[in-house]
Amino acid sequence: MTFLRLLWLHVRIGVLNELQYRGNLVVQAVESLFGLASALLGLGIVFAKTETLVGWRPAELLAIVGVYFLVGGITRVVVQPSLARFMEDVRLGTLDFALTKPVDAQILASVRQVEIWKGIDIVVGLGLLAVSLARVGESVGAARALAFLGALAAGTTIVYSFLLVLATCSFWFVRLQNIFVIFQSMYEAGRWPIGVYPPWLRGTLTFLVPVGFAITVPAEALVGRLSSATLLGAIALAVVAPFLARRFWLVGVRHYSGASA
Amino acid sequence: MVSVRGLRKIYVVPEREAGLGASLRSLVRRRSKEVVAVDGFDVEIGRGEVVGFLGPNGAGKTTTLKMLSGLLYPTAGEVTVLGHTPWRREKAFLRRMTLVMGQRNQLVWDIPVVDSFELNRAIYRIPDGEYRDTLAELTDLLDLEGLLRKPVRNLSLGERMKCEVAAALLHRPAMLFLDEPTLGLDVTAQRRIRGFIATYAERYGATVLLTSHYMADVEALCKRVVVIHHGRLLFDGSLAALITRFSPYKTVVIDLDGPVGDLGRYGEVVSVEEQRVTLRVPKGEAAAVTGRLLADLPVADLSIGDPPVDEVIDRVFSEEPEPASTAATGTAAR
Repeated sequence: MTFLRLLWLHVRIGVLNELQYRGNLVVQAVESLFGLASALLGLGIVFAKTETLVGWRPAELLAIVGVYFLVGGITRVVVQPSLARFMEDVRLGTLDFALTKPVDAQILASVRQVEIWKGIDIVVGLGLLAVSLARVGESVGAARALAFLGALAAGTTIVYSFLLVLATCSFWFVRLQNIFVIFQSMYEAGRWPIGVYPPWLRGTLTFLVPVGFAITVPAEALVGRLSSATLLGAIALAVVAPFLARRFWLVGVRHYSGASA
Repeated sequence: MVSVRGLRKIYVVPEREAGLGASLRSLVRRRSKEVVAVDGFDVEIGRGEVVGFLGPNGAGKTTTLKMLSGLLYPTAGEVTVLGHTPWRREKAFLRRMTLVMGQRNQLVWDIPVVDSFELNRAIYRIPDGEYRDTLAELTDLLDLEGLLRKPVRNLSLGERMKCEVAAALLHRPAMLFLDEPTLGLDVTAQRRIRGFIATYAERYGATVLLTSHYMADVEALCKRVVVIHHGRLLFDGSLAALITRFSPYKTVVIDLDGPVGDLGRYGEVVSVEEQRVTLRVPKGEAAAVTGRLLADLPVADLSIGDPPVDEVIDRVFSEEPEPASTAATGTAAR
């Protein structure tokens, strides 16, 4: 409840903020289009040479690209900007203001900055998913839709927990701005099913940087390739990860000493 | 209202020599040392008191303020503010206190002031009616009309600070922690904020703990001052008592009807401006010196007073008198 209330408040502020700089809309639209074009071009090149890629047909791979845009959009609208601001607040000492508000500081720090134009990626993602489903040509039953939503929620939660842990490190290291850039480039590996990568990288992309759970698993659910064991695993991880991230956050807050006057 | 016992805070800070080589070495092997920022002191503040919290830079003021407002965990000691232990950060506590830092702002930079106020209204869940009343009152007292619709980035420093203070008080807190609330403001803006704080504290019976480098703030607002130095309590009492205790001098100002000669034999000459001479005289001799001045010289006017507070405070810190001489290990960093 608190989460939704605070999220809504900051969406409102985000809208007010971004309406002042409409140029951002254009920039973001161009960026999203470029992202889309390079993703589709990549698919085109691959499928010019082969019928399937580690068992995925072209229309199914579109679902992966769709989830890639969708989850990326969700985190880039609110989670990443908020956590980036949080890290800046730690460095400047302005986190003091967040910590003295009568709301949960973790929630506040996670929704404080909303960049609405990044929502274009969410729209692009949903569009790609629709196209993918139409191309695959099967009707999605209630069970599959439910599995997809579950996997998507689980994947987003896992990515959020991961980003929270990264951001929380700034309580100790103070200056970690580049950490999200590294995450972003790892995330881009998620445009392909993680099955295409060699085992060591697959492990990294699943457990170290949870891109596999965020993208491949929901896409598998949508196109009906997901085993219930994997789904349960994803959900279990989505329960444990935020709990651990929260513990780590609380240790960090305790360690916070603020910037001096 | 505020009760502090044996409060201590030790920071572990990285330490390294100057220079590139040392910087590189410290990447591999970090050395750190302990810095005692607050070295154990007790203080009690009652409801409705406005207390000035003084000390030189690095004395531990901000650290103490942060522990009292729940931002920092102390190394040792007990603190109760409004019946709560601050660093547990219970909502009931946070809802009733506020923190204003003169050198940092919480208003959102790019949007009109009133939208930032709305955000605080929602965060503190202030009922509509109460919010309207408070906003009207603050607008009136701080003269915010005309500022509320402007984006924060378009405000002057003084205007912005008035809005910061208003934002921090929308929920009508009972406990105010003000860290240099008038820092960098011009005299008019300082006076405005000062007057406002006094009015607010009186109207709502709020307790205020204020740090400031401007003695005018302290003189105007605080009946009581708490002085810390090297993290230890140096003085707790009225401003007048502080001056009596730490200034062994009186200031004697005379206007002469005639030429000003060398007055060094009466006391230390602080300044001579045309016919007006200011002398510093040991307190015990003030009466005798005054008598001699009146007998010896064509005195048109004479007044005896305490030296300016600034001067006394400066003396307290630079001479580091008895109570603090055993304090502090190492240098206070924060």
